[in-house]
Amino acid sequence: MLFFSYFKDLVGQEVTVELKNDLAIRGTLHSVDQYLNIKLENTKVVDQDKYPHMLSVRNCFIRGSVVRYVQLPKDGVDVDLLHDAARREARGG
Amino acid sequence: MVAGLREFALRSRDGSGKPVLDESNGEELMHVQPSVAVALGNRPVESPGTLYITSRKLIWLSDVDMAKGYAVDFLSISLHAVSRDPEAYSSPCIYAQIEVGEDEDDDDSDTESTEVLDLSKIREMRLVPSDSTQLETMFDVFCECAELNPEPVEEEEEEEESGHNWVFSADQMDVRGGDEDAEWQISQSPTSVIGHSNGDEGLAQPMLELQINDQRFEDAEEMVHESETKDHH
Repeated sequence: MLFFSYFKDLVGQEVTVELKNDLAIRGTLHSVDQYLNIKLENTKVVDQDKYPHMLSVRNCFIRGSVVRYVQLPKDGVDVDLLHDAARREARGG
Repeated sequence: MVAGLREFALRSRDGSGKPVLDESNGEELMHVQPSVAVALGNRPVESPGTLYITSRKLIWLSDVDMAKGYAVDFLSISLHAVSRDPEAYSSPCIYAQIEVGEDEDDDDSDTESTEVLDLSKIREMRLVPSDSTQLETMFDVFCECAELNPEPVEEEEEEEESGHNWVFSADQMDVRGGDEDAEWQISQSPTSVIGHSNGDEGLAQPMLELQINDQRFEDAEEMVHESETKDHH
């Protein structure tokens, strides 16, 4: 549940979601659920030449299982906090 | 479960034209949207048709050709969105990407309209309602149904779960928590794993409270009462 909690705190920030099929979508994080399904608002496709079909949709829903990376704003990450929380979660099962 | 888009023409015989669902496995019809055209990949739009959204999959059935229909499980839908940008597509529509297997080359040539169509290779689908005011409703139903179809959880073995034996430092004796780990396991609540946050606090909240007992931080008034002779700036 760690990343669910973590992403909940990031709602409202701009993130870039990279899918396993290499598509990268930038947008404002609208919401996330326990399966890490992600809803983005005001989305824009990064590298539009590669994926012209998805030009600026307003909102999109991305299935959690197809996400490869979520790129975060540099200032949005407290690495030490996340490190500690991840360690706790791993130990706690 | 079949991955990707496939043909679907199982209609109920009661004359309603509705698709046959897998009710014994709990599949329910969630939403029906009449007057929806469908465009698969780069192919021209097909219409008229009706979109049936079930708790497991999307089904589009042609209104005129009883043998024509398509279905795709929500498990295969990577993303969906409302597309209103005329540069992206001529009509407002629901745009969906379909996850296909990674067998062969990712070639778009299979979606040429004149060639034999391999539905399992279709990676994009657009659903164009004749009433574009319905798009937000359709998007919301898609979201609901996607949430109903998370990845199936595989049985986890009780032992030999290699992920639980991480080592963090050279002097760590036992990962599974002796007394020294007690301080790390205060909060078992799944909603407050980060700094005991209740979800409303930002990550910038400090984990420890600082206790300052320095007399210099006492209230000025108290200092005046205690010693009027001292010099304070």
